Amino acid sequence: MRLTHVRVENFQQFRTPLEINDLDDGINLFVGPNESGKSTLVRAIRAAFFERYKTRTLVDLQPWGDSSAAPEVSLAFEWQGKHWTLNKRFLQRQRSDLTSGGEHYSGDEADDRLAELLGYDIPGRGASKAEHWGIPGLLWVEQGAVQEMREPVGHAGGHLQSALSQSLGDALGDIASSSGDALIASVERERGELLTATGRPTGELRDVQQQCDAHASELTKLDGQVEQYHERVDRLGELQRLQKDIDAARPWEEQQEKARLGQQQLDEVHKLQALQAQQRHQLETCQRNLQIYRQQLQGFDNEAQQLEKRLKAREQARLELSQYEAATSGVEQRISGARAAYEAAKAQYQMARSQARRQSLEQDSQRLITEIDQLSRNLDSARELSESQRLLAEQRQRCRVDEKQLIRLQKLEQALGELGIRREALATRLRYSLEADQQLMLDEEPLSGTGEQLLVAPGEIRIPRVGTLIIKPGGSDVSELVRQQQRLADERDDLLKRLGISDLASAQAQARRAEQLKQQAQQQQARLEGLAPSGVEALEAQQQLAIGRRDTLDAELAALPVASENGSVPNESQAQATLDNVEQQLKAAEQAATDHAGKLGLARQALRTADAEWQRQYDDINAPDRQQRKSQVTDALLELKAEAEQLEAALKKRQHEIEAANPEVLEQDVKRFTRAADSLRQQASARAAEINDLQARLETLGAQGLEEKREEIRLVYQRQQRRQAELEQRSEALDLLLELLKSERQAVTRRLQAPLQKHLNRYLRLLFPGAELSVDDDLRPSTLIRQGASQPQRDDLEALSFGAREQMGLVTRLAYADLLQDAGRPTLIILDDALVHCDQARREQMKRILFDAAQRHQILLFTCHPENWQDLGAVPRDMLSLRRDCD
Amino acid sequence: MLRFLHTADWQIGRQYSRFDPDDAAMLADARYVAVQRLARLAGEEQVAAVLVAGDIFDAQTLSDRTLHRTFQAMSAFSGPWVMLPGNHDAALAESIWTRAERIGAMPANVHLLTTPEVFVLEDAGAAILPAPLTQRQTHHDLSVWFDNAETHKGAIRIGLAHGSVEGQLPESADSPNPIAADRATTAKLDYLALGDWHGLKRINARTWYSGTPEQERFKDNGAGQALLVEIDSPGDEPRVTPCEIGQHRWYQWQRQIHVASDLDALLTELAALPAMSVIDLTLSGELDLAGQQCLEQALGAAAGRHRSLQTHLGGLALVPTAEDIAALQADGYVGNVISELQQQQQGGDAQADTARQALGILARLLGDQRSAADAPESQS
Repeated sequence: MRLTHVRVENFQQFRTPLEINDLDDGINLFVGPNESGKSTLVRAIRAAFFERYKTRTLVDLQPWGDSSAAPEVSLAFEWQGKHWTLNKRFLQRQRSDLTSGGEHYSGDEADDRLAELLGYDIPGRGASKAEHWGIPGLLWVEQGAVQEMREPVGHAGGHLQSALSQSLGDALGDIASSSGDALIASVERERGELLTATGRPTGELRDVQQQCDAHASELTKLDGQVEQYHERVDRLGELQRLQKDIDAARPWEEQQEKARLGQQQLDEVHKLQALQAQQRHQLETCQRNLQIYRQQLQGFDNEAQQLEKRLKAREQARLELSQYEAATSGVEQRISGARAAYEAAKAQYQMARSQARRQSLEQDSQRLITEIDQLSRNLDSARELSESQRLLAEQRQRCRVDEKQLIRLQKLEQALGELGIRREALATRLRYSLEADQQLMLDEEPLSGTGEQLLVAPGEIRIPRVGTLIIKPGGSDVSELVRQQQRLADERDDLLKRLGISDLASAQAQARRAEQLKQQAQQQQARLEGLAPSGVEALEAQQQLAIGRRDTLDAELAALPVASENGSVPNESQAQATLDNVEQQLKAAEQAATDHAGKLGLARQALRTADAEWQRQYDDINAPDRQQRKSQVTDALLELKAEAEQLEAALKKRQHEIEAANPEVLEQDVKRFTRAADSLRQQASARAAEINDLQARLETLGAQGLEEKREEIRLVYQRQQRRQAELEQRSEALDLLLELLKSERQAVTRRLQAPLQKHLNRYLRLLFPGAELSVDDDLRPSTLIRQGASQPQRDDLEALSFGAREQMGLVTRLAYADLLQDAGRPTLIILDDALVHCDQARREQMKRILFDAAQRHQILLFTCHPENWQDLGAVPRDMLSLRRDCD
Repeated sequence: MLRFLHTADWQIGRQYSRFDPDDAAMLADARYVAVQRLARLAGEEQVAAVLVAGDIFDAQTLSDRTLHRTFQAMSAFSGPWVMLPGNHDAALAESIWTRAERIGAMPANVHLLTTPEVFVLEDAGAAILPAPLTQRQTHHDLSVWFDNAETHKGAIRIGLAHGSVEGQLPESADSPNPIAADRATTAKLDYLALGDWHGLKRINARTWYSGTPEQERFKDNGAGQALLVEIDSPGDEPRVTPCEIGQHRWYQWQRQIHVASDLDALLTELAALPAMSVIDLTLSGELDLAGQQCLEQALGAAAGRHRSLQTHLGGLALVPTAEDIAALQADGYVGNVISELQQQQQGGDAQADTARQALGILARLLGDQRSAADAPESQS
């Protein structure tokens, strides 16, 4: 298809007609700045094809603000060797005319013919939308939409599929993918009612399977119950048979009778056993008596020997006694010796003790004499000192001056001195120096020579022959001082008089004297206290006491015996030791004597006893009835022997009888028969009980109609099983169908993909050598596979950069165009401002691609960047100059 | 002359799990109807007694309601019903019979013979010698005692037993509950009424199986009848007349379909069957889409006319003709799918069944699609 002529009038910004002639077969490059009318031209071409001529809503086609305008587009194109013209006017005086050779279509007919020719849909009414655009929607790319592939391919899908399958021959048939896909969707939906996507049962199939399982287990349970029921019935029948066959005859009674007979026999044996025991006891008694009598006889034989033994014992005792008696004198001697030694030692000890006492008393007496002497001397000194103290005290009393008054006196003297000085300072000083023989009279006092007089009171100086000078000292203080001085002097004089002293100096001397006396008294007091701390009287008493004690001691000494002249008296401790030693010896001797006496006594006693025993034995042997008793014993012994033999024979016989009866076995028989009877009775009653129990249970179970219930459930179960089998079969069939449809569809798709792939690779080679662009089932490009360094790099188309997506979009569209051309479909490619995101290098390659495509397809390329497309190999048409030409 | 009805094997309580629940319920009910019909027939024929030779009940534990229904169905005949426990309802220590007695379901005119003792039908001058089963199975011939049984002089001796007559029935070589084939002779019986075999069978002139009064198996052996027995006097040969009782006939067919006329023949055959039959139909062979449609219609109609129609079409391949496929407009890859499925269904294995069904589904879906596509066209 080749567009040859375009004319646009009253169309958006083309109010006046714009006409383009001589469009090239290959690339037609339209350049111009923004707003220069490139997009308007594209819109006009699209409107001519896509919009139904009578659509009323296309007011946007009118020039701005001119609602009376009738937008008009005329196109001329060549297709399959024919020349076609299309005239279309919208909104006002609408019309659509399509002419080709002899054919003429107008109105809707023209619109529909065009749509069929180019492969798009035209809406019944209203503006055309993307979903209607079909193949042109794919090949005519609006500004900035080259990279968008998904939707345009989707909208073109049906047209593409049908165009392609037509070109690929009858094998693929007429069925469009949409109807095949609807079939697949139906199968999927029906399969989805039974199976999940992963093939697991769902919906009714799952429910039926679950119900089947539930019923199967319920059936198993009921089977068990029925079986149990039958087993119980059988058991009941068996029990009833046993009851009838065995229990009805009361077989335990026979066993009881046997037990009773056995017991009778056993009782007989027991009687024998009792007799046996009694006889055994008699035998034992008999044998015990035999033993006693034998011992008695033995006793008679032993008596003579006993007498001999007793005699010997008596002799022995007698011997022992004589030995003890012989030792007695020795023992007595030893004890008297010990006693004499003890007395001597005791006397020695007394002597030693009084001697020691005497020495001690003499020492004490000597010490007391010395002490009394000392005390007497001290007493004399103390008495002297005491007298001297008394004299000193008297002296001190005489020269005693009161301390306070003395201090007062000192103060008065001092104050008087001070007053004198002050009066002198205040007094009028009268200094005179008189001629040697001249004299003056001051008051009553003559003045001569050189001197000085202090006047404290007015004075009269009479100067002979001159007259009298009265001098009055200035100020009143002088007289006050004189008065004060007078008062103090009076007080001092009074004090002196009271003290009996002439003046202060003698008073002080007297005080010093008193102090000396005091010290002297103190020294003497110290000495006195050293001699008699408690006073002289106490000292006297002490002296008297010592004298008393000395007298006592002297008396005691006089009483003590004087020490013996030979002077061999041992000291006290030696005497004590000797005494102790001797005492021990005495005690030992005394103990020996006691022991001896004891043994002697015992020996005497033993002799007496032995004598008595011998006497008794002797008396027994010589008793008059001894022989008689011995013969009695012998007789009894014989009798007892005979009795014992008799008893033994009887016992032997019993033993035979008892053994013959076999009581052990008899006992076991009784036990056995009794038990057998019990067990039979128990079995019978257990059976009766079980029968009752089973009957009750079976009645209850029987009421449930188990088998009928089981059959009912089996009915449901088998129906569900059939349903399950049907559904499983159906789900398998759907599965198979779906799988086949999908795989066949895929096979077809692969056949469709092959030529597209071929065209794609042709262009891709120029852009990315060795690269491949994979195409999905819907013939959409999906993954770009490029040769990487080590392994192919796979990129999802959506993930590529905008520029690369744009390039892929264009390449794919060109490949579609090739494919459509192969299928004998018209192809026209319109690119409005495409590839604006291309870098320089890629754009160079894209130019090669476009140029290549333009060898087969007419391409209208609009751009506002003419500098990018200078070397495209097409003469650019300037939109502005085009408009100028037309104007 | 003694006239009595001989029946057996009522099998009350039997369920038919192979059928759809509705059909199964009706078939179970039909057994009561058979009893009602027996009672009515007995009344009409004024027989002296009805002898039931065992297996009155199908199981030992049935619901009380079932018991009551059974005995109530017998109410149309007030004469004596002489019943013998069979293997299904043996007189065990605890049995369906003890239960029936306990709940008071059994009317007074029912005589259950649970012991091998002579039972005298006073008015009819007949002595009945029963061989009741007191175990489910026994390997002794319980009718042995008939040989030495004393009966009143001049009484008609009638044996009543349940089991397999030795050497007379198929597959009865080692079957339990044996009965000597010449028992009637050795025991000098005028008639031996037998149960257990569900078909009607004459062993000899005096020994008969009446069969079940209502068929319940796909066996063409005379089931669904009862026997009217007439004996003029002791020693006379009995006159035995089968009487139709059952409602439903059971048919089990296997048919092959290869050409259109095979299908026509089958449809004709189906139409000829008596109404309310129970049919089990297995088809194999091939069928095109038109044939399938035709068959479906015919089977639908038959299902309405009969008690139960079960079909097994696993062996029947759906083979669309070229025209069929063209009509479906199934070309392109869907066409490939159809030919693949057609190939797969030739296998004759489980996979073939699946393929056949898949093909059916595909044909239906394509048909739906086409009619959906046609609809707007026809409107426009």
